[in-house]
Amino acid sequence: MALRGVWQLNKLIVSYCDWGGSSRGVRAFMESHLPAFKEISPQLEVVSELNRGQHPYLKGLYRNKNERVVSVKNMTPEDILLCATRLRNSLGRKVVKLKTRHVTKHPSVQGTWTTELKM
Amino acid sequence: MANRRCIQTLISRCFCISHSPNPSPHPILKTLTIAPHFLLQTEYSTVQSLTPTDPGKICSAFPSFSRHLCSDNRTSMGSIDNDGDEEEEEEEDDDDDESEDEERVHLSGKSDEQKAEEAAEIGYKVIGLLEESDRVFKPYEPVFAVVQVGSHQFKVSNGDSIFVEKLKYCDVNDKLILNRVLMLGSTAQTIIGRPVLPDAAVHAVVEEHALDAKVIIFKKKRRKNYRRTKGHRQELTKLRITDIQGIAKPEPIPSMKTEKRATKKVEKTAVSA
Repeated sequence: MALRGVWQLNKLIVSYCDWGGSSRGVRAFMESHLPAFKEISPQLEVVSELNRGQHPYLKGLYRNKNERVVSVKNMTPEDILLCATRLRNSLGRKVVKLKTRHVTKHPSVQGTWTTELKM
Repeated sequence: MANRRCIQTLISRCFCISHSPNPSPHPILKTLTIAPHFLLQTEYSTVQSLTPTDPGKICSAFPSFSRHLCSDNRTSMGSIDNDGDEEEEEEEDDDDDESEDEERVHLSGKSDEQKAEEAAEIGYKVIGLLEESDRVFKPYEPVFAVVQVGSHQFKVSNGDSIFVEKLKYCDVNDKLILNRVLMLGSTAQTIIGRPVLPDAAVHAVVEEHALDAKVIIFKKKRRKNYRRTKGHRQELTKLRITDIQGIAKPEPIPSMKTEKRATKKVEKTAVSA
């Protein structure tokens, strides 16, 4: 999640509820894994919001103004850590099927091959 | 038939005793005390025919009787297996479990050296240092390299990005060296490796670890009431190629630009004058 050395994820919002059972994992995650996660990524601004009566989610705000919301309802703290790490590791680009696995601006170095080319 | 069955049980139990590491003596002894008087009455020919063969083969003919012995000691496997085979499997399972436990401990606590070795073998990469305030992103150079990562090969140049299967032991913003280089080329020269070029190195930086778009795997057999839907997202790593080493790079052409600037300045001064 770094385009030319610049981290793309600006902010991570952990939204949870202190009453609901679906937020149990998130609450445990916030106590156990979140401090370590914050230390690993110091450039990232992690905010926890209390949202009573709603299911918990992780919201990632990226540099290209893209928002990725991941629901962490009824998930274990380890799974939530995995989700958060995935958000941190990805660019904010839209998840589209890849056309090619090799993206280049200069496809040819020695000249593009043509039928008229003589070695 | 009943007599033959008793012989079978007796023989199988004898083999059980010989093979089992922790025999439960009491049920076996009880059965043995009952069995002998049956032996005396029955035909010897059947016994002789049966004894030289393997215990596994004997037991396979009459699998139902083996359950009593082996399942006393251990939890039932739930399958109708032979005496000897069951015990052998259980022993093997114990060994496997122990070795698996050792392996699990081994895997979870892999040392850095092992990780680097695995990385070097599988992914043909060496983890360099993390990105600091280095000027790694150079302008385009007309040099290419054919690089192999895992089982995939790419023709790569400076500034390209590559999507590769997820690389385990590297984080985002890590510098990598792809050391499996099969070919190098520039405008004037081409170097072909056999199969690898030993002194060549391709530097790359990990840009992201992300999941690919979801692919739905749909299986159907028509008129058979069979339909399955499965979603799959492949984990990929995006690498940005920064440098190719091992070939003489052609010099960049700043002279053209300076000439242009010089001419422009001359024109401007001329116009102003």
